Amino acid sequence: MEQVDKETSAREELTLSLGPQHPATHGVLKLVLELEGETVAKCTPHVGYLHRGVEKLGENRTYLSALPLTDRLDYVASMSYNVGYVVAVERLLGVEPPERAKFIRTMVSEMARISSHLLWLATHALDIGAMTVFLYAFREREWINDLFEMLCGARLTVSYPRIGGVRNDVSQEFLDSLWKFTEEFPGRLLEYETLIDQNRIWLKRTIGIGVVSAEDAANLGLTGPMIRGSGVPYDLRKFAPYDAYDQVEFDVPTGTNGDTYDRYRVRMEEFRQSNGIVRQCIEKLPPGPVMAPDAPKFTLPPKEKVMEDMEALIHHFVLVTKGPITAPEGETYSAIEAPKGELGFFFISDGSGTPYRMRIRTPSYVHALALPYLTEGSFVADVIAVIGTADLVLGEVDR
Amino acid sequence: MTFKYLVKTVFLTEILKAMALTFKAFISKPVTRQYPEEPREAMPGFRGMHALVRDSSTGREKCIACGLCGAICPARCIHIYSDEDEDGRKFAKRYELDLLRCIYCSLCVEACPVGAIAMTEHYEYSDYSRDAFYMTKEKLLANWDKYMSGKKGQEYFKKFYHPLADDFAEYEGQALFRGKAAERTRDAA
Ligand code: SF4
Ligand code: SF4
Repeated sequence: MEQVDKETSAREELTLSLGPQHPATHGVLKLVLELEGETVAKCTPHVGYLHRGVEKLGENRTYLSALPLTDRLDYVASMSYNVGYVVAVERLLGVEPPERAKFIRTMVSEMARISSHLLWLATHALDIGAMTVFLYAFREREWINDLFEMLCGARLTVSYPRIGGVRNDVSQEFLDSLWKFTEEFPGRLLEYETLIDQNRIWLKRTIGIGVVSAEDAANLGLTGPMIRGSGVPYDLRKFAPYDAYDQVEFDVPTGTNGDTYDRYRVRMEEFRQSNGIVRQCIEKLPPGPVMAPDAPKFTLPPKEKVMEDMEALIHHFVLVTKGPITAPEGETYSAIEAPKGELGFFFISDGSGTPYRMRIRTPSYVHALALPYLTEGSFVADVIAVIGTADLVLGEVDR
Repeated sequence: MTFKYLVKTVFLTEILKAMALTFKAFISKPVTRQYPEEPREAMPGFRGMHALVRDSSTGREKCIACGLCGAICPARCIHIYSDEDEDGRKFAKRYELDLLRCIYCSLCVEACPVGAIAMTEHYEYSDYSRDAFYMTKEKLLANWDKYMSGKKGQEYFKKFYHPLADDFAEYEGQALFRGKAAERTRDAA
């Protein structure tokens, strides 16, 4: 029998390609892992399988018609990405949306946060081996999708906000059913927690896994729950409020250890905060217009006017064909807090109706690049837990 | 190591609690739907397959071939070839819409100055050929007759084509929080 030299066999390296078709990599992410036994020595993320050139497409569309492209960045929380886009364009053009539109947008972006975190919880737990949560979380996610459908006619790719406001007003039926949702949702959260919060397998798979210190998290550029899990209360809704976030009350939950379990706790707490924000928005929703009335050169005029008023007709034609051609020249960077972290839009405007340059800073891309840091030195099985906790959506990683 | 922790570890309390929840769900009403057998009605204002509005007074399409819908379309999937009829009225000789490229954003509906294009509540489109998704003027008009004729079409334009009240300022009957009233109607919703 051949003698196996323990010294050399332990050092033998194995290269493993995890993805792009691996069911646990949430889309088309490929990780090339160099393994020493069961330990990851090196991890190289390969991204770009879903590249569609959204930034370039945006430079060939007017500010108005590039909006639906942002649906396709993070398709599980498209509402937040729409809001991020319109907020950025409004800051560039200097348009101020009316109060009611601000509250509606705040409300729907928090719904998107709940829906995105639900998908995260479902798939993260599924990856780690707790399948039941998936079924419960999707029950509520379906409810939110139904609400979106009631609101704007689409379930996932909503394209609901508009530059200067929102597409249509909310209906009473929508408000009532959303209120009903916010009343029942905390009970549903308790159900998820019954299932996994104390579960010994869940605890073993998450505590002490993918640890990142506050300093390293900041250096890596992590944002959203990824940095809040390490104890840094960085939240753009507090630091650079947009829409109606300065008029609602909420806390920014943080963790202490910066491990997967803490990030799980942060997101579970964010569910409750978001639910509270939605409730406050419903209660405080003021009456009034939902579209900026004082920005005729940037927003489509009311339909009744178009066929009667010559000026409105001209505005309508120019806006649709050429975009807001009176856009000021210059640059702007505007960031919002998307469910996954800081979502930034950078525009260079040359004064025409299309952006000269549109650059999107998506949180998942930065988080994907932090994977080597988070996984090297850990076991292969923990790589799956780390991908889950980073909440990657490949649509926005690759753009 | 507390007594409580010991009990928890030995008797698997957290697992039993979770099993109890599963059992509760097992005996409660299912939330799923047997889809093709139990079809689902789309909500009003759903952004489904397109239709060209048929003007009930003339029996022809309302479209004036201005091309705005094609100009705003982010997917560039509307192609319009215009012509003039005997009395100098511009009309779309060919109006083609490639549904396989369309991203159902409804910007075309918003851009149309005369309300000539609509989105129906029809969402079950599957077919054996690509040609079936290449909509011509005739097919789009037939969609209108099939899905939006009568009251539905009028309602659609009242609610979703004039989504923004006149001059953005008229807000009678706007939806507001109704407090306890919301709870009373909650079973209806
Ligand atoms: S719904 Fe959007 S993508 Fe489809 S035809 Fe209309 S504008 Fe184009
Ligand atoms: S459908 Fe409306 S926007 Fe499109 S060409 Fe006809 S009239 Fe113009």
